[in-house]
Amino acid sequence: MTNVIEARDLSKWYGNILGLNEISLDIGPGITGLLGPNGAGKSTFMKLITGLLKPSRGRISVLGGSPWNNPVLFSRLGFCPEIDSFYEDITGLEFLLGMIRLHGFPAAAARSKAMAALETVELAADRDRKIKGYSRGMRQRLKLAQTIIHDPEVYILDEPLTGLDPLGKRKMIKLIRSLGGSGKTILVSSHVLPEIEALTSLIVLIHQGKILARGHIHYIRDLIEKHPHQISVICDRPRHLAADFVGDANVSRISFGPSAGEVVFETGNRDQFYDRLGKSLVEKGIEVEEISSPDDNLQAVFEYLTGK
Amino acid sequence: MDVGTEVREKGYTGWEGRLIQRRFKWSPIARTGIQLAFRKKRFKPLFAISFLPAFFFLVGIYVAERLEDFRAFFREANSFIAVDPGFFRAYYSNGSIILFILLVLAFAGSGLIADDLKNNSLQLYFSRPLRKKDYILGKLAVPAFFVSLLTFVPGLLFIIFKLIFSGSFRFITEYPWLPLAVVGQSVLYIGFFGLYTLSLSAASRNSRYVMVLVVLVYFFSEILSGILKLIFRSPYTGLFSLGGNLNQITAVFFSQKTPYAFSPVWSFLVLSILAVAGFIFLFRKIRGVEVIK
Repeated sequence: MTNVIEARDLSKWYGNILGLNEISLDIGPGITGLLGPNGAGKSTFMKLITGLLKPSRGRISVLGGSPWNNPVLFSRLGFCPEIDSFYEDITGLEFLLGMIRLHGFPAAAARSKAMAALETVELAADRDRKIKGYSRGMRQRLKLAQTIIHDPEVYILDEPLTGLDPLGKRKMIKLIRSLGGSGKTILVSSHVLPEIEALTSLIVLIHQGKILARGHIHYIRDLIEKHPHQISVICDRPRHLAADFVGDANVSRISFGPSAGEVVFETGNRDQFYDRLGKSLVEKGIEVEEISSPDDNLQAVFEYLTGK
Repeated sequence: MDVGTEVREKGYTGWEGRLIQRRFKWSPIARTGIQLAFRKKRFKPLFAISFLPAFFFLVGIYVAERLEDFRAFFREANSFIAVDPGFFRAYYSNGSIILFILLVLAFAGSGLIADDLKNNSLQLYFSRPLRKKDYILGKLAVPAFFVSLLTFVPGLLFIIFKLIFSGSFRFITEYPWLPLAVVGQSVLYIGFFGLYTLSLSAASRNSRYVMVLVVLVYFFSEILSGILKLIFRSPYTGLFSLGGNLNQITAVFFSQKTPYAFSPVWSFLVLSILAVAGFIFLFRKIRGVEVIK
């Protein structure tokens, strides 16, 4: 496998705060998921790759060159930051034109590339609307559009699925997967395991500035399965639902949550639990307001891996 | 801890993009800045009004050259408007033109960096083939555009109209250095007001606050200089006035008597120190990412 991104003993401090701690990592073509809780060092790592930060120690190379103070490299790199970075008073098309012109494209080529990017992220119909009128999902897609507009080789996507509704997430996942399938190198970060799982099977776990694990997602999944999951259901008859699960081998604990109508199940086998839950709800005619997993147990895995 | 690394056989797909070298990398930033300025409420009428002083001075040139036609209005005058280097100095040192420059820059320049800081746009700029100096040049081009329209263009028009109305080249042969003085004066204003606006814009994320600062800081220096003059009764208190220092150098450009009784070199030094401080501040303030300490 050709390595596109190579980090060796890479460290970054912000004053006394350690952002990254001696990371050594190789990333090749395809989609690689960077998974870690908030504050783990994902964004710091991505900003080192995109040359926005200078390493305190160690080295990082992207496409064979150091990204720090190397603007020429950025023609081959697309960065989608976590936070919105827009001028609210300009239209989506104007924003993209401003971004692509920074790559040196002449006006006509810039316009056609901007239009193509808007088509790709399904924002062509809204191209003349001011960004301040865009929904959260549209903003995320516009951020992705500015990332793909110059057809880069390497994509650095910092939490691209955050804040999207399920439909928006599905569209974004489809788009990122299609980019990955075309041989591009994509590093995508998230703190939510199912999001990364939907994108790729190759993941890197990062926590407190260190790489805890890297490899196939099944290894991580297996680790997570060893820890019980909490699933919260808010419905019109929580007691009936709870009673139905008493004695279920997959449920280790049942409790009632703080919200009205909330029952919280603890299970060691999430898939089987969900199968059983669906059947139970239909059979008993229980009306569900919300099903959520307050703890996707990633933290538990991190604690397990760090031996805490 | 490595929990198992899969060996993935993946081919590498060559990049199909184009590497483009552009000479003026900053130009898209400048264009966007100018476009955004014209979208601001009340900017267009203000910008139009800011040409009024230049218009009145142009009328002055016409009247001076066609004095005979206006004899009925000005019976006693032989030459009530003298179009000479002093005329140019009067335009550039005029309080109204300075006020209009400040107001135009308050509207057009206050958000140049403040809005980028507020919107976290710097990381988007610096993840593209752009250096910090390109970014600053692009931003600097915005006040430069507006200031040159209020300084260089009118200065040039004054010379052209003087030649047209007088119907001879005597004026330019008499003062052959005047076009250069106009260029020098415009460069002084572009450099000073450009850096002044950008430095203040980089000082805050709130462009409205910067808008007030752009006007306030300039006039505060005038007030401070006035107060110090009352206390110390020294001409050197003029060094505390931004306008005073600019006027000193303007007088030199147009070979006129300086308003303060001290060498204009001092004013040049003060403005140079401020320019260097402004550049250092800008370079320190503009980063691709916010550094948390």
